[in-house]
Amino acid sequence: MAQPLVKKDDDHDDEADYSPFLGIEKGAVLQEVRVFNDPQLDPRRCSQVITKLLYLLNQGDSFSKNEATEVFFSVTKLFQSKDLGLRRMVYLIIKELSPSSDEVIIVTSSLMKDMNSKTDMYRANAIRVLCRITDGTLLTQIERYLKQAIVDKNPVVASAALVSGIHLLQTNPEIVKRWSNEVQEAVQSRAALVQFHALALLQQIRQNDRLAVSKLVTSLTKGTARSPLAQCLLIRYASQVIRESANTQTGDRPFYDFLESCLRHKAEMVVFEAARAITELSGVTNRELTPAITALQLFLSSSKPVLRFAAVRALNKVAMTHPMAVTNCNIDMESLISDQNRSIATLAITTLLKTGNESSVDRLMKQITNFMSDIADEFKIVVVEAIRSLCLKFPLKYRSLMNFLSNILREEGGFDYKKAIVDSIVILIRDIPEAKESGLLQLCEFIEDCEFTYLSTQILHFLGNEGPKTTDPSKYIRYIYNRVHLENATVRAAAVSTLAKFGAMVDALKPQIFVLLRRCVLDSDDEVRDRTTLYLNTLGGDGEVVETDKETKTLLFGALDIPLVNLETSLKNYEPSEEPFDIDSVSKEVKSQPLAEKKAPGKKPTGLGAPLAGPPSTVDAYERLLSTIPEFLDFGKLFKSSAPVELTEAETEYAVNVVKHIFDRHVVFQYNCTNTIPEQLLENVSVIVDLSEADDFAEVLSKPVRSLPYDTPGQTFVAFEKPEGITAVGKFSNTLRFIVKEVDPTTGEAEEDGVEDEYQLEDLEVVAADYMMKVGVSNFRNAWESMGDDFEHVDEYGLGPRENLAEAVSAVINLLGMQPCEGTEVVATNSRSHTCLLSGVFLGNVRVLVRLQFGIDGSRDVAMKLAVRSEDEAVSDTIHEIVSSG
Amino acid sequence: MILAVLFANVEGNILIERFSGVPAEERLHWRSFLVKLGADNLKGVRNEELLVASHKSVYIVYTVLGDVSIFIVGKDEYDELALAEVIFAITSALKDVCGKPPTERLFLDKYGKICLCLDEIVWKGLLENTDKERVRRLTRLKPPTEF
Repeated sequence: MAQPLVKKDDDHDDEADYSPFLGIEKGAVLQEVRVFNDPQLDPRRCSQVITKLLYLLNQGDSFSKNEATEVFFSVTKLFQSKDLGLRRMVYLIIKELSPSSDEVIIVTSSLMKDMNSKTDMYRANAIRVLCRITDGTLLTQIERYLKQAIVDKNPVVASAALVSGIHLLQTNPEIVKRWSNEVQEAVQSRAALVQFHALALLQQIRQNDRLAVSKLVTSLTKGTARSPLAQCLLIRYASQVIRESANTQTGDRPFYDFLESCLRHKAEMVVFEAARAITELSGVTNRELTPAITALQLFLSSSKPVLRFAAVRALNKVAMTHPMAVTNCNIDMESLISDQNRSIATLAITTLLKTGNESSVDRLMKQITNFMSDIADEFKIVVVEAIRSLCLKFPLKYRSLMNFLSNILREEGGFDYKKAIVDSIVILIRDIPEAKESGLLQLCEFIEDCEFTYLSTQILHFLGNEGPKTTDPSKYIRYIYNRVHLENATVRAAAVSTLAKFGAMVDALKPQIFVLLRRCVLDSDDEVRDRTTLYLNTLGGDGEVVETDKETKTLLFGALDIPLVNLETSLKNYEPSEEPFDIDSVSKEVKSQPLAEKKAPGKKPTGLGAPLAGPPSTVDAYERLLSTIPEFLDFGKLFKSSAPVELTEAETEYAVNVVKHIFDRHVVFQYNCTNTIPEQLLENVSVIVDLSEADDFAEVLSKPVRSLPYDTPGQTFVAFEKPEGITAVGKFSNTLRFIVKEVDPTTGEAEEDGVEDEYQLEDLEVVAADYMMKVGVSNFRNAWESMGDDFEHVDEYGLGPRENLAEAVSAVINLLGMQPCEGTEVVATNSRSHTCLLSGVFLGNVRVLVRLQFGIDGSRDVAMKLAVRSEDEAVSDTIHEIVSSG
Repeated sequence: MILAVLFANVEGNILIERFSGVPAEERLHWRSFLVKLGADNLKGVRNEELLVASHKSVYIVYTVLGDVSIFIVGKDEYDELALAEVIFAITSALKDVCGKPPTERLFLDKYGKICLCLDEIVWKGLLENTDKERVRRLTRLKPPTEF
């Protein structure tokens, strides 16, 4: 048994500096290991040495292969001792040393002996050690014993075998799956922990068999789980069954009553688990949510921080989808703003920002102002992001929200925090026109005292684009010119560019700008001097009030329409010569942007990695991609891009999927093609589209991929024109056409001559829903009323006989492609009528709200009343046309 | 999965650490993150008062007992409430072994025993035993009393 290393009495406790491991050295401890080889073992001394070894390992010391082997062999000698305490330490140190597979054999026989020992506790520990160090072959030898151990009447032995099973399932699943019957028996055990471990293992064994898991949950929900831990597992498995059956079943959710009954369990852990499971049900209705929210609300005022945290975190999640359901908890959450735990306070604030209404914004901002000073930057960023969303939700409140942002911008803070604020202000300026002038001035004041070069240059760039379009551009010049005097070279260069932009856009300011620019000609930095000279020469007019020509504006404002990767490659390949580098020689083709890659299967996150950067918004990525293709620049702003639609079966020679990009008067199909044959190189790959079933469309251009090597995705585009303002629909049949060249597998070089070939792809449809963006509203009623009935269009339709109401509702939602609001897409079982609320943005950025009222009669005939409100009468009518023709 | 159990002294030096399912190269990052979390928040906290934090899908529950700070990190089924259960099992066993909230010295004196308790409570990232009586008996290789 482990003894204290140094005999002492409690008086020594006060000697803070004194440590029983003071001056411990690995070399000395390794010498001490020799005591394990003594013919007369001293258990106490041996335990002390093992403790020292454990301490060394815990302090990060590592043993070399030789050292570890030596220690391990010595430790095996200790099996001779019958001392219980020492044996327990031996089990522990063997696990810690993790012997290699060729060493394991030394202890196997001792451990196998212990595994069959009459002393129960030897059995339990030997199982744990063996399972830790075992490999597949040894496992088959001991499988019989493990199966017996699972049903052992000693709960410690059973638990040891079950937990070992959970670990072994990762490495030897086929063996562990054979234990199913024994584990099933253990689930019925009267020992609480045995049941908990058995339940976890059984579910993992059967996780791919939906029916078996469903049966398991059904049988256990009728009986009682013997511990809160097991009950929590059961709730998780029940919600998994609910999730998986959501697509196949209609009507009442299975197990909802079970979840609801768990809300009255005496263990808080179970109540919380059930409440959270209910809030996470897909398409949860308000009626289902209410009891769960009430349970969580009670936890908000708990004395235990863990419970408060758990509850506010769950409510925060609910607030994203059902803000109205959480409003009852607002008062409790307001009191959490002053919670000592800053995580809880931040979650409370961000939840309140999501659930609050327009009238409570000012009060909330007051409370937040006090709170901001004493939280860390990472929490502040979360709050800033929540405020940004709030401002976009209630644009009328921009004044107080913008004030708040500019106030916190002036306070101390790190780069990420400041960047979050600046980003928010920029977004608000972009989306709320009234906020533009005050926002720009706030940014100007910020750069007067900004310590971050990156932010200063970004703001200067933004000022250059937006400032000249304001009513009084001259007021920004002072702030910009100050940068030329007071900043580092990077910021000075950015300021010079911004000044030039003002000069180019505002003719009246040109003479003054010339004066300022001339002062920069002698700057100490060459980049600043070069830029100044360039702008002075290109702006033209020598400082006169004249209009700037188009070419100069393109130089100043135009984006570099060349992928930077291509430019970099070309510059690297350029050899200095008489001939200057020609930027037009750089390819504008975008290479392999795997925008629509399939998910990598089986890749599990390690969980504790550095935080993953969120994926860039797909729409943004598409927008960027399309803007690099000059032919599409005249199409205007991209309205919507669909999800990729597969045009080939899995595992075919060529994998092709297509993304539909919708513009006002054009539709562009982006075919993402991958060549999966290593021995082939495809060239001039294009898609031939047959428009015989798409009368409203006319092909305007096709952009092939020049070369498509093995496993490198490439994109070919086909663009169509369609009449403006008409929701043109149609069916397109597609054929992939290309030149195929054989590739020599040894050299990787392609043959010179190729053969033209074609490959039939699946058909593609453009439907009405493609012209609609799913954009939800948080409060449908408010949105409906504020939209007004100017362009309301109401009509009734007969949908014919249907299986049930749910089917009819989902058919109409899919037809319109709009976002269901407030969980109204879920239809209660056997109900005879239902109201569904939809929201979206139609082509041309027209907001549309739809209220659908369904009724079903005895002969299952469904009738529907469709009420549409939108910002444009023509769009309201279009929605009706879609429904009547669908 | 319980990803990490970590004991540190007042100065933030690690006394015991157990990682499970965490790649070796990420351990240093977590070690310093947890120690900083403790330094920022554990001052003036009462013994066994639980603090909680989360980062993405990972939860952290931590507390102080005597001179020792205890941190537990978990994910998936080991959320904040399950971790509260784990940390309760650990603090009970620790008090049981030391007889009182331990000073650093007392903790080190009972180091071997504490390692054994931890081995009984958390095994490779899974919670195995919760009751302190049972843990005490198991560390002495005695069967549990209810058996």
